[in-house]
Amino acid sequence: MRSAGQRSGVPYGAAEDEVAPVAAEDEPQLRRSPLFTPLLLLGAAVLPGTLVVVIGLWGDAPAVQAWRNVCLSISVQALPFLLLGTALSGAINAFVPARVFDRALPRRPALAVPVAGAAGVVLPGCECASIPVASSLIGRGVTPAAAFAFLLSAPAVNPVVLTTTAIAFPGDPSMVVARLLASLATAVVMGWLWLALGREKWLRPTVRHTGHQPGHSRWTEFRLGFQHDFLHAAGFVVVGAMAAATFNVAVPQSVLDTFSDSPWLSVLFLAGLAILLSVCSEADAFLAASLTGFSPVARLVFMVVGPMVDLKLIALQAGTFGRAFAIRFSAATTVVAILCGTLVGGILL
Amino acid sequence: MKRFPQAILLVLSGTGLLHISLLTDLYLRYVKEWMRPMLIASGVLLLVLGVADAWSQRRPGAPRDRGERGTHEDHDGHPHDHSGVPRAAWLLLLPALSMLLYAPPALGAYTASRQTSKPVAVQQDDFEPLPAISPLPLTLGDFTTRVRQDPEQAVKGRTIEMTGFVTPVERDEGWDLTRLLINCCSADAQAVKVRIHGGEIPPADTWVTVVGTWHSDGTLGTSSAAVALDARTVRKVDRPADWYRDALVQPLPR
Repeated sequence: MRSAGQRSGVPYGAAEDEVAPVAAEDEPQLRRSPLFTPLLLLGAAVLPGTLVVVIGLWGDAPAVQAWRNVCLSISVQALPFLLLGTALSGAINAFVPARVFDRALPRRPALAVPVAGAAGVVLPGCECASIPVASSLIGRGVTPAAAFAFLLSAPAVNPVVLTTTAIAFPGDPSMVVARLLASLATAVVMGWLWLALGREKWLRPTVRHTGHQPGHSRWTEFRLGFQHDFLHAAGFVVVGAMAAATFNVAVPQSVLDTFSDSPWLSVLFLAGLAILLSVCSEADAFLAASLTGFSPVARLVFMVVGPMVDLKLIALQAGTFGRAFAIRFSAATTVVAILCGTLVGGILL
Repeated sequence: MKRFPQAILLVLSGTGLLHISLLTDLYLRYVKEWMRPMLIASGVLLLVLGVADAWSQRRPGAPRDRGERGTHEDHDGHPHDHSGVPRAAWLLLLPALSMLLYAPPALGAYTASRQTSKPVAVQQDDFEPLPAISPLPLTLGDFTTRVRQDPEQAVKGRTIEMTGFVTPVERDEGWDLTRLLINCCSADAQAVKVRIHGGEIPPADTWVTVVGTWHSDGTLGTSSAAVALDARTVRKVDRPADWYRDALVQPLPR
């Protein structure tokens, strides 16, 4: 937080100017002086306080309160799953030797992709959890294609999500089957697509996932990796939550029904809506069920795209793997998910 | 980001989570009640993590970790985070402080007024006979289903009691008795509404219990029937504990 640092630095530097004109040259030393951290903390405490007061002046507007509620609720909802994901990721990093993955996954990457996609079933969490886990898998030598197949399938085909889908669409088991097949197909196709077209250079080089180093305490490694990954990801979740809250408040849901007439437009529209709303994968089936004006295929696409691409996830991927990757990967996933959803939906529904 | 602020950030987030989940019921404004154990566990975990981190730095001769090593500031004051935590992590301060100091209120009339009422997704054929009590307590969802789908027209002539909050209606008669339903977090809130005719319009977001009869418009038991009530009495009530559900305030007597 640079602004906080500057804020606290101003009176400090000004006072220094009066007694010592050479203060500017001394600044590097001053910044490391023992006073710097307390001043930084003071600034960090003052700035949000000022913000809160400013927000408070117009914060009683219902729209602002609704925005703050949605933004906070997405963050609060995501934090436990994010912790679970980063704990798993930290545990993989510190405790699981790399050879375990060599044994568990087929040697050939093209075969490892569907295996990893099917393995997504074991992580019944929100989509926030799967990104740090996938990142640490890559760090431990798993081929990125397989890790991405896992990343996409874990939030989309886990038992919790399939159960809620069955509850949201009672008497319509074909929707559950269609969701499972379309999501798995998307994950596997994206894995293979990465094998065919993906470039390692799009991925931000990860220096931190080095595994267990001899001579270091595993627990300290675990704790530091956990803390690093969590803080890293949490900031980006908040960015995504803010964006989703803005959409949620700025666009009334009643305008959505105007797009339901054309079958093709409605598919694209619901895919876009899934990206903007950033609802967690355990709840999106209920939302899809309520969009009664839309065709079943469009609603299926909504549920296939939602857990794989949304504002919160794009922000999280950009933070974890780098912006170059997040843009390409999210765009490609959206296209593949729409195609798979439409294809499977067209056959089954 | 330096190490010490990281510890502060973790402690603040953990305390914030514990504040809304363990010490108060504020979390119910944002997520469902089944999230509570997870929120408490997360709060404790973050708190422990932050304290452990601060503690490990107090020890003399503690090894400086990578977060410190990768961060240095050059002359124009841009910190370069090569391997440390990016500055975006500071954004976590916003929800943390919001939870601690300035928790936003639950969603209400503003959100509900911008949604169409949640449609009845399933065609129901079997309707239990309604208990013979008057006034008959119904949930907004049950009332909607009865009005739109019950071929026996069991609500005809019955005095019905429903509880929800007030959502004003623009350019139309009456107001909407409303409940917001959430499945996961309040980002997926959906409104279920019943139009109320007659009487004065209470202020928005007031929780009320309305007693009245079906507002005769359209054919009862078909989709042409109006989901509306002619109010006889409108009485202010306390907000129920589980306000993000469409449930009866008191269970039906058996």
